[in-house]
Amino acid sequence: MKKILLSALLSFPIWVMAQGFQVNLQGQKQIGMAGAGSALALDEASVFFNPGAVTFLEKNSISAGGNPLLFKSAFQQANSNVTENVKNKIATPFELYAVWGPKSNKWKLGLGVYTPFGGLVDWGDNWSGKYALTSLNLKAIYFQPTLSIKITDRIGIGAGFVYNYGDVNLQRAIPVNFPDGRSGKVTLDGTGKGYGWNAGIYINTLSNITFAITHKSKVITKLDGGSAEFDVPNSLRTSFPAGNTFNAELPLPATTTLGIGIPLSKSTKLAFDASWVQWHIYQDLSFDYATNTSALADTKSARNYRDGSSFKLGINHQATEKLALRAGVGYALSPVQDGYVTPEAPDANRYILSAGAGYAFTSKFEVNASFFFEDVQSRTQKNIETGLNGTFKTLVYAPGLSLTYKW
Amino acid sequence: MVGEITMKKYILNSLLVASVLFVASCKPEIESPAGTTAGSANFSKYIAVGNSLTSGFADGGLYLEGQKVAYPNLMAEKMATVGGGSFTSPFFTDAQANGSGYLSLTALVNGVPTLTPVTTNLAYRDATRLAKYTGEVQNLGIPGMRVDLAFAGPFGAANPYLERLLPDAQVGVTSYFQFIQGRSHTFFSLWLGNNDALGYATNGGVTTDATNVLTDKSTFALLYSNLVNSLSAGGQKGIVATIPDVTAIPYFNTVTVAALLNAAKAINPAAAAIYIQTGTGTVRAATSEDLIRLPFQSAGLFGSTTSSPYPYGLHPLNPIANNWVLDKDEVAKVKDYVISYNNSIKSLADSKGLAIADTYAYLNQVKTGIIINGIGINSAFITGGAFSLDGVHLTPRGNAVIANVFINAINAKYGSTIPVVDVTQYRGVKFPN
Repeated sequence: MKKILLSALLSFPIWVMAQGFQVNLQGQKQIGMAGAGSALALDEASVFFNPGAVTFLEKNSISAGGNPLLFKSAFQQANSNVTENVKNKIATPFELYAVWGPKSNKWKLGLGVYTPFGGLVDWGDNWSGKYALTSLNLKAIYFQPTLSIKITDRIGIGAGFVYNYGDVNLQRAIPVNFPDGRSGKVTLDGTGKGYGWNAGIYINTLSNITFAITHKSKVITKLDGGSAEFDVPNSLRTSFPAGNTFNAELPLPATTTLGIGIPLSKSTKLAFDASWVQWHIYQDLSFDYATNTSALADTKSARNYRDGSSFKLGINHQATEKLALRAGVGYALSPVQDGYVTPEAPDANRYILSAGAGYAFTSKFEVNASFFFEDVQSRTQKNIETGLNGTFKTLVYAPGLSLTYKW
Repeated sequence: MVGEITMKKYILNSLLVASVLFVASCKPEIESPAGTTAGSANFSKYIAVGNSLTSGFADGGLYLEGQKVAYPNLMAEKMATVGGGSFTSPFFTDAQANGSGYLSLTALVNGVPTLTPVTTNLAYRDATRLAKYTGEVQNLGIPGMRVDLAFAGPFGAANPYLERLLPDAQVGVTSYFQFIQGRSHTFFSLWLGNNDALGYATNGGVTTDATNVLTDKSTFALLYSNLVNSLSAGGQKGIVATIPDVTAIPYFNTVTVAALLNAAKAINPAAAAIYIQTGTGTVRAATSEDLIRLPFQSAGLFGSTTSSPYPYGLHPLNPIANNWVLDKDEVAKVKDYVISYNNSIKSLADSKGLAIADTYAYLNQVKTGIIINGIGINSAFITGGAFSLDGVHLTPRGNAVIANVFINAINAKYGSTIPVVDVTQYRGVKFPN
């Protein structure tokens, strides 16, 4: 009887994916434009934004950049006057791109290594939501070799194969107490891999207004044999055996984007991207433990995500021959329905504001910087599975810098 | 050219530095009305009237750790944000922190608990009496207090927890009803009456003395109104709480007839029934509607043949004695009395405009299981998290949950915004390491 009731302790969800885990930081120029730019052949980051545009890049190039990101989230329980904040931890999304092709030929090769999904939140070991989550460190790194071909002088197509390396570390407290009163804890740690693709079409009309259609496929990332380590009082050890492992699946959603690029003048371009993020694939999250006990059952937790979307508008102004200035605004609709918001990714609809600048020191060497800000709207709800009831409010700050060499 | 590069570097560096400073200063803010107003109540001097639950009694004893997390103490901490003053409790000293002594879970093997009494650092001044506490007291909870005995002067001599708080001259003279008066309170809580039904129930429906009488319904109503009238005589606002159903506590839902039968079958597959002696003296096979008291599991009686050729509880000629069992007729009787008591409490509170913490309804919800901030809480023994090792009284976690039931009821009634207690900061049962 005691064991049956113990199982209730663990029948709760482990993690959740959200817009909050979608990292919109894949190229300094585009970041400066709020993440718009699929319809602009701006630079080698088109490997990510639109493989179809890569072949229209004038030069071969290689670039590396990073965006130290601070995810500042706060929580307040319903009817409490205490606001709890995540610890200041800096995530490190990065992007590496290389584009090469014979001059004035119809094709180009590209390679991108970037981090389209990830999350780093650390609420500390003793906050009011500790039994839902204490910390999460999730990284998804995509490797994408790409081929881009000019069909005509004004139309390019491109596609890349995506390999994802995923790495997750998740910790939360378990509501059983040691003799000194402290809570038990579980740490789930594992790596996984998944596959997908990224393809796009780039069309430059006679008026030089450009269009893009891109599709990044879903990437089902499988985690096999991750370690499930339970720190519990010894009298409960048989219920939570040492050396346990787990398997899980992480569904990273497909994204379809329509983009428009409008030249306002010779030096100024406007970019608009509308994206449809197909989160509906995330219906539930299941954990399969290698060793089950009467207290530790496999779990299947409903997520019921709907599709999310985002709208981004950016401007790129070539102020001088060497200096470019950028700015952008955006809005993203959350895929997380009321009742499913969790401290892993306390998601809600969000505003995006960005600014950026680029400087070409020589014709070969260029530096770009950006600042990206997201205001995730405050959201009050009660999680259906954990009963965690309160208000989340999140602000995201990410300054960034990249170096580019062109030839 | 060189100057320009330096200039651009300078601008970029400045941007980065500015970004970092900006980020460090810009925390997300969440506005909350919690903790801003006392509404129409005045919490400057709160007193808590009640029994063991109010005192912080847990694990079969009254000890310092339990006293500190008694639900009135947790409430008082939160009231401080809306004009609440200090709140004094008759704490045991650190040197005598284990107070009356209590039960500790020292082993859990295959789901079978071993409970061991803690006998160090006790607070006894002689064989039966506890160290005196003098000084102001606002947590007036007395383990064992009943509505009927609240008016009995001699009970102050018989009850060590009240005796401890009374000056020698008042022992055996001053009743609890008198003891709680004259404290110039501005707000009160009253959770009393549990033992008027529970004393009878936890003795298996057998009355042997004044502590296990089932208090007459109309007597209860009359005496309870005397208490409320006295506490609100100066127009004070307050909260009263209903009495939980006795079947909502682990004391009566852990040692089930089915569990005993399974245990018997494991030894003798032919075992067919558990036999009990009912309150009317009848011997019959037990059903799931008959409740067996928690201490029976460690009484060493079940299946014993030491005092009879027939195994105890497994043969009609050696049934489980009446005092171990609250048979189904007794259960129905206690339930009926509790409902009557609660109707008296609620109608009186309504007529006085007092808030009501409906712990009867709430603990019935807990019985089927609730989830608060990722903690599953139910009325199971040990694993349920809300009830301590005596199967009747609350764990620190249970106290936090009940404190919020009171706080929410107070806020709803008086328009106050006492902040809620963070339940996750309080433990359930301690498991041996």
